[in-house]
Amino acid sequence: MEILAIAILGFYAIGYFVLGGADIGAGMLLPILARTRGERQRVVATIVPYFLTNEVWLVAAAGVLIGLFPVVEGDLLTGLFPLVCALLVGWVSRDAGVWFRGRVDGDGRGARVWRATCDATICAGSWIVAGAWAWILAGLLAGETDHVVTDPTVVVAIGAVLSVFALHGLAFVGLRSSGDLRRRSMRWFGSSGERRMFVVTGAIVAGLVIAAGSNIPLTAAAADRATLDWLVPAILMVTPVLLAAQMWAWRLFRHRIPSHRIPSGHHSGQGSSAVRVKPRSDVGP
Amino acid sequence: MTPETVELARLQFALTAGIHFLFVALTLGLATTVACLQLRATVTRSPLHTHMVRFWGQLYVINYAMGIVTGLVMELQFGLSWSGLTHFAGNLFGAALAMETLVAFFIESTFLGLWIFGWGRMNRWLHLGVIWVVTLTAYASAYWILVANGFMQNPTGAALDGDTLVLTDLSALLTNPSTLTAFGHIAGGALLTSGFFVAGVSAYHLRRRTEQREFFGRSLRIGVYTSVPALFLAVATGGLQFGHLEGTQPMKLAVFAMDGDEIDALQAAMIEQFGAGDYTPPGLARAAGLVMLVVFAAMFWILLVGALLAISRKVIVRFRLWHVVLMAAMPLPYVAMISGWVFREVGRQPWVVYEMLTVDDAVSDISDTAMRASLITFTTLFGVLVAVTIWLMARHARRGPDAVTLGAGELGGDTSSRPARDPSEAILTFVGR
Repeated sequence: MEILAIAILGFYAIGYFVLGGADIGAGMLLPILARTRGERQRVVATIVPYFLTNEVWLVAAAGVLIGLFPVVEGDLLTGLFPLVCALLVGWVSRDAGVWFRGRVDGDGRGARVWRATCDATICAGSWIVAGAWAWILAGLLAGETDHVVTDPTVVVAIGAVLSVFALHGLAFVGLRSSGDLRRRSMRWFGSSGERRMFVVTGAIVAGLVIAAGSNIPLTAAAADRATLDWLVPAILMVTPVLLAAQMWAWRLFRHRIPSHRIPSGHHSGQGSSAVRVKPRSDVGP
Repeated sequence: MTPETVELARLQFALTAGIHFLFVALTLGLATTVACLQLRATVTRSPLHTHMVRFWGQLYVINYAMGIVTGLVMELQFGLSWSGLTHFAGNLFGAALAMETLVAFFIESTFLGLWIFGWGRMNRWLHLGVIWVVTLTAYASAYWILVANGFMQNPTGAALDGDTLVLTDLSALLTNPSTLTAFGHIAGGALLTSGFFVAGVSAYHLRRRTEQREFFGRSLRIGVYTSVPALFLAVATGGLQFGHLEGTQPMKLAVFAMDGDEIDALQAAMIEQFGAGDYTPPGLARAAGLVMLVVFAAMFWILLVGALLAISRKVIVRFRLWHVVLMAAMPLPYVAMISGWVFREVGRQPWVVYEMLTVDDAVSDISDTAMRASLITFTTLFGVLVAVTIWLMARHARRGPDAVTLGAGELGGDTSSRPARDPSEAILTFVGR
């Protein structure tokens, strides 16, 4: 039962970092990838249909942690108090930026300032979230689970984890955009298509999470047997349903964000990535 | 860690949970209204009802964000500030939270994404099904949170094993009367909140002699006639809760009744059982309970008269004094909700798990400075976000149905009969220009 509990926690944590890590990375790179107002809109649009469906994985992972490993949850979060608070501040700001960006419409000066402020909040929030995670993961990799690591060498590890987030976000934008944006994000990866890059960066993220997570003392700290006996089967039963809902969302929103807006009602073809995707040969450096 | 840490942690949790509770109340009620409107729009293909789904749906979506972000912070605050609670009662309390995140919130948010961004991209019956899943999982979420909260109010189905609680009876945990009656009470309160909200916004437009008389006239009636049964549900379940306080928390009842002899007797009995200490909750509990009852009376009379007035379409459109009353009444359910919550939560002090774990013993070993810094940070952040949300809600409510962007381009027809649109349209509209 304990092994199953650990597997469940790992599944949701990896799911969050691979999926949510991508939209966090995209948010970090917002000002670097997007050069015009229209491009900023498009980078945010690559995130928008997924950020909600991605972050529920972290909420779920936190729920699984408190349900299956309540004592670890308390020790871990209390020990890492400042980092977790920073993570939450970044997360809340970022969500608010994404959610409220389009709620002031029009083309007046006020509306433009509003959207620029939201873009800045999304970018800053993404950096704070990624930075907090990088610090937490760096500490866990060093084997410290109950306090914030302040060793100067941790800076190197933080930089490395931040780069992983950024690369993963870059592959994600490459996968979701078209035209100049797509070309610009793929320039970093040479000729190895965005799909393969996303799989590679995703695998690195997953490896990082497994390596960091294996240092958390979970084996002896699971909840009481009576709780595991009902909670583990309940989670195992509901997980396929959750996955099916997620897959539906991935499929429904798989289209690339077009580089030009198509007028409403215009027949844009039945294909999935219908809009002005440059031929593959243009992608290389 | 000092006594001040406890006060700071307590204040921080009260602020987060309080804001969460108020925004989520409207989320829960308005989701129900939107789901019912969309059912009607889908069955009858009425353009008016489709438009109502979009307008009220847009307000629902704006309001939703505040519930998520405060919910996130709250979920992690249990571990951050109250690790004593997760140590002691994690086997029960944590399990309920785990179920809430997986069975309810995960599905609710995933389907909300499908509903917003899949608008016009799926069969209209499927789209209807999606909003109903969102609504039902929102209620499931409320239930599981109240399993956790009900357990803290009235710990059933558990036994002490060493220094932690273990589960002994799952069905007792899941059918705790403190959970079930509170669930009915909150469902009633949420529908009341959205009913007054819908009626108030409609009254604003009717008072300004809007062109959209049909739209807001019908909306106002929906608001009033949702609130009437909701009020009765809230009262009935509220009465039931008072009823079983005698058995579960007699001290709360004694403080509410200001029965000095009874308070002294209970205090003496608790000292004998649990050792020296102050087991009498602060007078704030009584004050909050009274505010709740007074506001209930005000809502009762507003609805009694309103239910009669709303029979006539002419009165709905023309009676401007009534419009003012409905607009002014919009905050009442919020006041009732928050004061009811204060009564429930302050009235069980000093216990976090009733007669088992005190708040002082539940707080994490965190320094004063760290706790104060996090309190200031989150209070500022939430203060700004609450102000922004209210401003955006007011702005969108005032601009009326013509300016709605949610589901723009959707004309209420069957999606299959129209030419294919840009599949990213709903996404780009949401993001803004």
